[in-house]
Order: sequence, then structure tokens, then C-alpha cells
Amino acid sequence: MAQPLVKKDDDRDDEEYSPFLGIEKGAVLQEARVFNDPQLDSRRCSQVITKLLYLLNQGETFTKIEATEVFFAVTKLFQSRDIGLRRMVYLMIKELSPSADEVIIVTSSLMKDMNSKTDMYRANAIRVLCRITDGTLLTQIERYLKQAIVDKNPVVASAALVSGIHLLQTNPEIVKRWSNEVQEAVQSRAALVQFHALALLQQIRQNDRLAVSKLVTSLTRGTVRSPLAQCLLIRYTSQVIRESSVNNQTGDRPFYDYLEGCLRHKAEMVIFEAARAITELSGVTSRELTPAITVLQLFLSSSKPVLRFAAVRTLNKVSMSHPMAVTNCNIDMESLISDQNRSIATLAITTLLKTGNESSVERLMKQITNFMSDIADEFKIVVVEAIRSLCIKFPLKYRSLMNFLSNILREEGGFDYKKAIVDSIVILIRDIPEAKEIGLIHLCEFIEDCEFTYLSTQILHFLGIEGPKTSDPSKYIRYIYNRVILENATVRASAVSTLAKFGATVDSLKPRIFVLLRRCLYDIDDEVRDRATLYLNTITEDSSVVESDKDVKEFLFGSLDVPLVNLETSLKNYEPSEESFNIASVPKEVKSQPLAEKKAPGKKPTGLGAAPTAPASTVDAYEKLLSSIPEFSNFGKLFKSSAPVELTEAETEYAVNVVKHIFDSHVVFQYNCTNTIPEQLLENVSVIVDASEAEEFSEVASRPLRLLPYDSPRQTFVAFEKPEGVPAVGKFSNMLRFIVKEVDPSTGEAEDDGVEDEYQLEDLEVVAADYMLKVGVSNFRNAWESIGPDYERVDEYGLGPRESLAEAVSTVINLLGMQPCESTEVVPSNSRSHTCLLSGVYIGNVKVLVRLSFGIDGPKEVAMKLAVRSEDESVSDAIHEIVASG
Amino acid sequence: MLLAVLFANSEGNILVERFNGVPAEERLHWRSFLVKLGADNLKGVKNEELLVACHKSVYIVYTVLGDVSIFVVGKDEYDELALAEAIFVITSAVKDVCGKPPTERLFLDKYGKICLCLDEIVWKGLLENTDKERIKRLVRLKPPTEF
Repeated sequence: MAQPLVKKDDDRDDEEYSPFLGIEKGAVLQEARVFNDPQLDSRRCSQVITKLLYLLNQGETFTKIEATEVFFAVTKLFQSRDIGLRRMVYLMIKELSPSADEVIIVTSSLMKDMNSKTDMYRANAIRVLCRITDGTLLTQIERYLKQAIVDKNPVVASAALVSGIHLLQTNPEIVKRWSNEVQEAVQSRAALVQFHALALLQQIRQNDRLAVSKLVTSLTRGTVRSPLAQCLLIRYTSQVIRESSVNNQTGDRPFYDYLEGCLRHKAEMVIFEAARAITELSGVTSRELTPAITVLQLFLSSSKPVLRFAAVRTLNKVSMSHPMAVTNCNIDMESLISDQNRSIATLAITTLLKTGNESSVERLMKQITNFMSDIADEFKIVVVEAIRSLCIKFPLKYRSLMNFLSNILREEGGFDYKKAIVDSIVILIRDIPEAKEIGLIHLCEFIEDCEFTYLSTQILHFLGIEGPKTSDPSKYIRYIYNRVILENATVRASAVSTLAKFGATVDSLKPRIFVLLRRCLYDIDDEVRDRATLYLNTITEDSSVVESDKDVKEFLFGSLDVPLVNLETSLKNYEPSEESFNIASVPKEVKSQPLAEKKAPGKKPTGLGAAPTAPASTVDAYEKLLSSIPEFSNFGKLFKSSAPVELTEAETEYAVNVVKHIFDSHVVFQYNCTNTIPEQLLENVSVIVDASEAEEFSEVASRPLRLLPYDSPRQTFVAFEKPEGVPAVGKFSNMLRFIVKEVDPSTGEAEDDGVEDEYQLEDLEVVAADYMLKVGVSNFRNAWESIGPDYERVDEYGLGPRESLAEAVSTVINLLGMQPCESTEVVPSNSRSHTCLLSGVYIGNVKVLVRLSFGIDGPKEVAMKLAVRSEDESVSDAIHEIVASG
Repeated sequence: MLLAVLFANSEGNILVERFNGVPAEERLHWRSFLVKLGADNLKGVKNEELLVACHKSVYIVYTVLGDVSIFVVGKDEYDELALAEAIFVITSAVKDVCGKPPTERLFLDKYGKICLCLDEIVWKGLLENTDKERIKRLVRLKPPTEF
């Protein structure tokens, strides 16, 4: 909020005082009473409006009463003939945005202005009316707006067109009727009118591919006057290219010549837009890319920072998919490392890191070292991430890159930056075996002087897993034990666990580790003491806690096979009693948001959007619900509940969705029914299921619903028996049967007599994925190794032509119903191959891991290699069967 | 969409802020983010020299004019180049109204006129007029000369 300025220098009194010094809302509102004077002082009124604007523009708000009062007063000013004041009044009404019941006061004045002979009154009245109007008023003024769109005065036409763009959001059906007038305006000789008309016309027709395509075809041949409109046209053109390329697998790309022609336009904006459009074409060839890269290269040395930024940003994107195409620009890009604008410098560096070859790595690192000291943390993180990918690309260069990372690790920096560096070192250690020892030592040195508890504990944990496997594990002990002496309790406890891992794995170190652990028994923190006691008892030869060496390792190194969130909820729900907490009771399913849940309509993320809310717990609720129904109580433990599947279209009389609950030898369908008709009450509601296409299932129970009143969702259930442990599949057709009774809307009472009726629902399928639990693993590689190759099954499949690689990947993930690991479900755009890692638990509690390798060739043919490892041979085969039959 | 146009004085106090399509609860966040961006980078920058930044899919172009810093924020079709165009129109209109790169005092003296210019340039997040001569006439309710 603005503060009144203080006087700095007596000699410059006039210069330094703000005309709004000491401005106060209450006083200005008082002053606004001059609007009611019978003899209006236009100058004074303008000054008061300026003050009101000043308040509003600084985020000050008026209460409803204040706003109404000011609004009514401002409307009086329509009496004045002063042109300057009238212009202010228009602005003020827009700023106040009066409520629907107040608008009526100004409507007639504005309507009058809208038909005024003075063009500028018309333009402004249109803008104000459109800002404050609602649907009913809009139909009244529609005629005038249509005329205005084709008005000879470009300002009037633009005002109507821009209003149309805004109104399209609220009253699309009305604005769509203006299509002919807008079409005419697109041909206007006035540059801005053409720009606004083009934007509106495209929005009106955006769902009609053919119409957009026609529009683009005609305009790319004709003349487009303003560079802004030309940019829009380029965007729409690339949209048409995107949509048509699927059917056009051979020959030249449509409209490419137009885009290429735009590269020679006189406006930089247009050249740039065309270049960017070309680089973003799907499956762009290097021949197509070359001219675009050439113009972008020229922009790199432009004197305008915005152009340099735009060019380097686009080249950065291109370098992700076509690094070779960008190498020609490397020299220009290197000079940008010293660019004053740090955003440009960072983009240049990260692009160079992607396009550089092995021999240039050292030189580049030298330049970056100088550069790192004067950029902010957020830019440094981007650089660190780029270095990580570079190192994975050129593993032989790990030494210099690892040194670089360890050097910057020692410098000043915030948590996120340090975490990015540590994460990178960890990834390099994992991916480049030679880098392991040097990387671990760097991490050890870092924790000697690390101010972040979280990072220290992470590193200690990692050290406990990797350290014992190195050639000389003893050298790490000093760093670890130093933590026990010097750090806070959290880090000390982690250090104790790490020591225990060394003790359990390296026999030669065991006696010495015991000495250290015994010292920890006197720690002042009880968690540290407890851990030391536990580990001493666990890894001693004559342990009473665990039986074999294998159990010790499983205990120390095994991962919790339940999701932490579920464990936390179960522990919170556990009430202390005679019965101890049993970890087997924790559900293993990763909770996800039910798919059928509708998102809040019309709420688009804007700006720096907030984080999404956590998914709700539904699995527990299902379990409770089912166990409370006597017919299902002997079905055993619930293995999995699916997300709700809609069986009716949106906005039908009765909304029904179904949740499939899978038990070992039963399946229960839970039909969630909603009656959306206020005048009806449904009784004896049941779903009649025809299972003739699901041979292995036989119906055993059905639980109808006695009453289904308006807008109060209730459930009915049908249960089937199936062979035990067998992943039987099948198709079920459903019919909703009920007795409908009329309800008197005034009293809410239902009539006595009802009529029996039926309502056809969509079919429902039980598929293989229903027998798979989404259970993630924290480290896929470890899990893959530990499950071993005994029951590994590998085969290759052709998936036929697909829209994109990403689409193929998500189809296979959905088919298998497994949990993607390590974010491998995300396919980088433009990539030609992708590996996706999945994990899950198959019915019968069998762990399954899947490694999918995809490749795509020119005409979008996708091939896939599927490798499955599981604890059971038949399950590995079953997974292949699912894919083969899917 | 042009998400925001913001003017601040050299001490980071807001002179004008106009948001479009930014929820009220995010505005404070934006305001402090932009002011900090200016404080970090605008020192010693010449009048009208453009600086540019991006945050996720949102672009920011900003500059100094006399004692006043000007920021425009946009996304989607309003990328760095479109914003550069918008800020160019804004700076030329302000210079035109004030007669020179304004001191803070001069800017506040011409506050009403400047608000009118902004109203002609950006309307609810869309760029409406780009020619300073035309804008000069429009704020006085005069039709454009070419008509």
C-alpha cells in the first residue's frame, strides 16, 4: 500500500509532496457529495473521481453501502455536458461494478449514449454496459451491439468486439449469433478491428474444426493488417496443423509454407511467433526446423532484451527434443552467459548444457563457476538440474561434474538449492557406479557442516544403504559417529540407525560398531537411546529379538510395504488396548481421488495457483460400510474397491454410479443412486443384474433400497460369487427397478399409490485391473533386483498406430491398473522412446513389478517391450495375458 | 490474458494496480513478488529498458520510467513479446500525458489522465488500443484521426 511520501529536501517542496498526501477513504466519500450539487463543478468532480480511483487502484475496497452511495452519486453526473467529466464517469462506473439491482439506474442514460450521434459516447457506453450487464439486458441491447460491430468508426467496432470476447464467457449463446457481423469485421481495413474480430471469431468457432480450418485457409491467403492479428493467425494455423497432421502421414505439411513465409515478415513479433510455431510442430524434421532456428539465432544478438529472452527460451525448449539442431547457436549463446538479465543468462547456460558435446564440458563448467556466484537460488537450481542430466548423458565426465557439485554444495545457499544438489549427487551415485565412492565422500563432508536436519538425515539414510557396499566402509564411520556427538536429536537418531546398518552388513566392523552403539545408550534423548538398545539387541549374535541374519537385514533394510499415509491414519485410529497394533491391518491400497468425483466447475487455476488438496479417505469408509452388512460379513478381507464408474449420463433423471468391491471369492457391486426429480419418491429400488456374459460369476445376494427420496444419495448392493483367488472377468448389464410415487411439491408428501418402473443403466465390466492393487515402491531398482529374475517374463508387443507415445503409455497403465513409480508415467513431449516402471500387488497378495519400454516410429506405430517380475510364475504370465488380450 | 498492470514508486510503494482474472487472495502475493523483483533488478536500469522474467507459464515484463517502475504480467497469448508491446504503449502514453519521464509528483498530478489512458489500453485483461495518438484523443472523447 502506498505510504504518503515524506519530505526529503526543503528546496524541492513542490516536487516531493504527493497530491494525495494524507488521503483518507472517509473524507473522500464525504467529498463525493459534490456530485449531488444542483450546480455541478466539473473540475472539482473530476478531482474527486481521481481520488476515488487512486484509492481503488491501491487495493482499497468500499463496503456495499459505500459503493452504492458513490454509484448513485456518480450517476447524477450524466447531467453534466463536460466531456472530460463524462469520460471519468464511464471509468468510475466500470470500477464500481454495481450490482444487478442498481444497474437499472444507469441503463437508460447509457442506452441514450449508445445511440448518441457522438461516436465516442457510443464506444464508451458499449464498454460500460457490457461490463455491468446481465443476460436479460443483453438481449435488449443485442441489436445495437451487432450494429456497432460493423460500425465505420474503428473505436466503436473494437469496443463492441472486445465486449463480445468478454461476454462470450457469460452469455455464449447470444454472442454466437453475431457470427456474420464478426466475419464482416474480420475483413475490416482497420488493423485493430481485424485483430479483435479475429480473436472473437476464433473463440466463437473454436469447437468447429472445419470452420476454424476454413477461416485460417482464407486469411492465410488474404491480407492481415496488424502484426498482433498475424500472430493470432499463426497460432490458429498451428492448431489446425496439429489437428490435421493425424490424417496426413505423407507429403508436405499443410500451411508450412505460410509459417515459413512469416519468418520474413517485417514485424519481429510475427517472425518470432512463426519460428516458435515451427519448432513446436509435432514430429518436426530438421529441414523444417532450419529456417526457424536461423531467425532465432539472429534474435540472440538483438539489442532488445525481450527478443533475446524469447529466442533463448524457445531454443531451450527445442534443445530438449532436438539438441543437434541448436548446436549452431552455441557461440551466440555462450556470449549470453554474461547477459545482464539473469533470466536470459540462466536459459543460455541450461541450453548449452543440453547441446554441448563431451569435449566442451570442462570449458563450460569453468564459465558456469564464475556465473553461479551472482545469480539467485531459483536460477541455481535450474543449473544444477541441467548439470545432473549432462552427467547422466556423459558418464565419463562424472569427475569434473561431481567436483563442481561438491564445490557449490559448500557455498552459501538456501534449503531448496542444497536439496537440489544433494538429490543430484544421489542420482549420479545411483546411476554411475564409478562415481559412488567419490560422491559418498562429498556427502560425508557436507554433513560435517550442514545446517539442514532434513538433508542430514536423508544423507545418513542413503549412506547406511550404499556405504557398507563400498570397498572400504570403515572410512565413513568417523563422519557418522561425529553426528552422534555434535548434532541435534533427530540427526543423532538417524546416525544411530546408519551405524547399525554398517554393523549388520560388515562383519569386520561389528565389534567396533557395538562399542559406538553402547555409548549411545547414555544419550539424553530417549529416541536415540531406544534405537541404540533396539539395534544392539537385533544385531548381536545371540539375538533374542530376531532369529536369523536374513531377518536382521530384512528388518534394517526392508522397506515398509504399506504406504506411510495409511500407516499414519491407522496409528491415529488405534486405541490403546490389550491387543497390540498389527501392521498387517494397515490397508495397502494407495488412496486416490475417486475418478467420478466432479471438479468444481469454472474454477481455473490462475497465476501462482495453490497446491491441490489431499485426497479423501474412502477405502476405510468402504470397509466399514461393507462389514456392517450381515450378508457380506463372511466374505473375508476386502482386497480392493474401484473408483466409482458412472452408469448414467450427466443430468439424467436418476444418477447411478457403481463401485466394485473385490474379495477373495466374491465381488460386491455397490450402486450409488441419486434421484434428481423433486416430484418423485422411489421405493424398493434394486438393480437387476444380468451376468450371462460373465460365466464365472453367480449372484448370491442382493440388498435393495427401501426409499430413495429426492437429492439424497443412497446405495443398493448386489453380490456375486466367483472361483477363489481367480481373477475372473466379465460383462454385466444393469437395470434399475423401482416403484415411483408422485410427491406434492407444496407439502412434500408422497401419494399412496405408486407405479412400478424400470430404467436402463449402462453395462459394467469387471476387468483384470480390478484385481491389482496400486502399491508403489520407493526404489524401483532395488525392488526389481530383490525380487530376482526367477519368474521374469519378457515379450514384445505391437500396439498399432497411436495418437502419441503418452497416450499409449497411459492406456497400458490403465489396462494393468498398477502404480507408476518414480514419475515414469510422464512422457516428455517429442520423445521417441520411453521407459515406464510400474508396481502393484496382485490378488493373492503377490508383488508384481513391470518394466515397460515403448518406442514410436514415423507413422505413429508404437511397439512395446514388457518385462514382468513377480513372486509367482502364474502371475507373471497373467500380466502378459492381460496385455495380450487388451 | 494480461493478468496485471502495476505501477510503483522507487521505494516500492504501489501507485496503480490493476488485476484481471487474478483471485483476490493471490493479489497481495503478486504485489510483493513484483515489488521485490523490481528492487532486485531495476537499480541502474535506463528509462524504458525492458527486463523480462518468467515464472512457470506466467511472463513478466518490467521497466523504469522516471521515478516510476512499471510491471505487466501476462499468460497464454500474452507472452513476453505481446507484453513488450503492451508496456511500450503504456510507457509512451504516460510520457505523453506527463510530457517527459515523470517524477513521482508529476505522475500523481496526472493520475486521472493516466487512469483513463490505461482504461483505453487494457480492458479487463485484453489489449484494446495500441496507438498513443489515438489514445490521446480517446481520453478526451475525440474520435481517432484516421476516421
